[in-house]
Amino acid sequence: MNVPATPLTISRFRSTAASVRLSVLQFVADPQWLIPSMIAPIIFGIVAYQLVLGSGPYFVVYAILGAGMMSMWGQTLYGSGWATGQDRVFGTLEPTLQAPTPYVYVVLGRILWNVVSGLVGGAIVYVVVVAESGQIPAVVNPLLFVVLFLFVMVTLASVGVILSAFYVYTRFAGFIQNIGEFAFYVGTGCMFPVIFLPWWTNPVSLVFPPTWALDALRYGSIPGYQGFAWGFGWDLVGAVATMTVYLVLAGLVFHRVERHVLEVGTLGDY
Amino acid sequence: MTPDPAIEARGVRRVFESRKGFLFTEKSRTEALRGVDLRVEPGEIFGLLGPNGAGKTTFTKILSTLLLPTSGEARVLGIDVARNPQAVRPRIGLVLGGERGLYNRISARENLRYFADLFGLPPALRDRRIQEVLDRVGLTEAADRRVEEYSRGMKQKLHLARGILHRPELLFLDEPTIGLDPKSARETRKLIRSLVSDGVTIFLTTHYMFEAEELCQRLAILSKGQIVARDTVAGLRRLVGGDTTVEVEAYGFEDAEIERLRHLPGVGRILSEEFGPRLRLTLRSSSSELTAGAVRSALGTAHPDLMVRERRTVLEDVYLDLVEEEAA
Repeated sequence: MNVPATPLTISRFRSTAASVRLSVLQFVADPQWLIPSMIAPIIFGIVAYQLVLGSGPYFVVYAILGAGMMSMWGQTLYGSGWATGQDRVFGTLEPTLQAPTPYVYVVLGRILWNVVSGLVGGAIVYVVVVAESGQIPAVVNPLLFVVLFLFVMVTLASVGVILSAFYVYTRFAGFIQNIGEFAFYVGTGCMFPVIFLPWWTNPVSLVFPPTWALDALRYGSIPGYQGFAWGFGWDLVGAVATMTVYLVLAGLVFHRVERHVLEVGTLGDY
Repeated sequence: MTPDPAIEARGVRRVFESRKGFLFTEKSRTEALRGVDLRVEPGEIFGLLGPNGAGKTTFTKILSTLLLPTSGEARVLGIDVARNPQAVRPRIGLVLGGERGLYNRISARENLRYFADLFGLPPALRDRRIQEVLDRVGLTEAADRRVEEYSRGMKQKLHLARGILHRPELLFLDEPTIGLDPKSARETRKLIRSLVSDGVTIFLTTHYMFEAEELCQRLAILSKGQIVARDTVAGLRRLVGGDTTVEVEAYGFEDAEIERLRHLPGVGRILSEEFGPRLRLTLRSSSSELTAGAVRSALGTAHPDLMVRERRTVLEDVYLDLVEEEAA
């Protein structure tokens, strides 16, 4: 055979970067993304500020965290799963899985981009709430706040990886995600602390890494915050532990899900 | 050492199970492939023909690692596709074609760049290779336009460009010229031939018989999930009775007349088909002595309305004979 050999080298970094690049190109090409990434954060910011107005000295921080998390939930988590769902609809899931790069790196690239665009949403919320309240929020430890904020994003992303696997698994993932969306952002404390919810919901909430991370974020940024009784330190431990479980699960699940769809032959279904 | 066959399938079966309903689900089971055995040698263009639903795409997807067989074994370039798909993927190309399967909101060049990275093409080589395949399929001028602006034919070319981007040793083409205008289809066939001269093995499924006849060295006909024949075009012609075909049409024939036709030189099989009140007999013969004149002489003057047409047996005749025989 005289096909000139091409030295193909599958690089995880290059595959992930290619996925980030594709996400950016698609984002730029499609103006409908302006709604969740730019317009929704403005609305969330305005509504959240009105909801918590006058409810204590740190209501501005509450408003920013609540609206910021709502906006980022949509971008980071929902967006990551949704992109895989779109791969099904447009028929690009088959050629992507047929490429030698493991699909998990494609998902990783999308999540990275969604984290960045989620941060942009968070920044928009900040600007809106500050403009509305006319005051810069008092954050006790700005550095800790930034670190915890990014940490929350990472925990959201860990749920996004599992959701993406679910989208590969079945074409009905979008339907199920839409049903669960409201429960998820209330249940994990995106809009307001989980402690306000009935006690019997807490075990379900604690299954999700963002619940722990969000509680830690509020402990770290709002003096006198009353969240879970175990406090900041155990919140961090819980977040890291649940997130590790999610990431290990994702590593295991992705390979099995890929195998499963090849077995049942539903890869081309949409 | 004998090289591994490009494709070797043994007893490949594929069963699809599906469910209908939500609360009271009803299971259904479809056997798409019922024990397919096939061998494709390196460097050849092998064609797989079959009616809609025969199992061609299912078989192609199994060989290209997008589907697992329910049982049986399929090896591509010597590697078991079910056990080690990751080792097969960089060495094969797949062109499923159609309107779907591309990122429509970005350009062709960006589509290719994305897949070049997923296939692990080194950055130093990537852009050059992208330009090379764009030139090869004739998309250079439109390369930076969004794919959503493309015609169906242009999308088909882009599918093909993506399939050959990483220079695969074996290329699967599932109906590569479907939806193309005659000029583009001819260019695609030319491209396929040039790929073979580069050493690429081609596995092609098509509905177009003339295309299969023009391109393929060997062919298999798949019907209801089973291979009903496999050979060269000449070999398949022999299988259905030979190179010569004579069609005879009239308002019915006596049994004795049909018997006389059966004894003409080289006549292997006679097929009959009704067209309203008229009956058409198709005679296949391995002898060039079977001519329209010989048929007219055998039937005498009993049919003033007799129509006789002599022609070469084409692949379409072979295909229809075998598929209809299988259906019967």
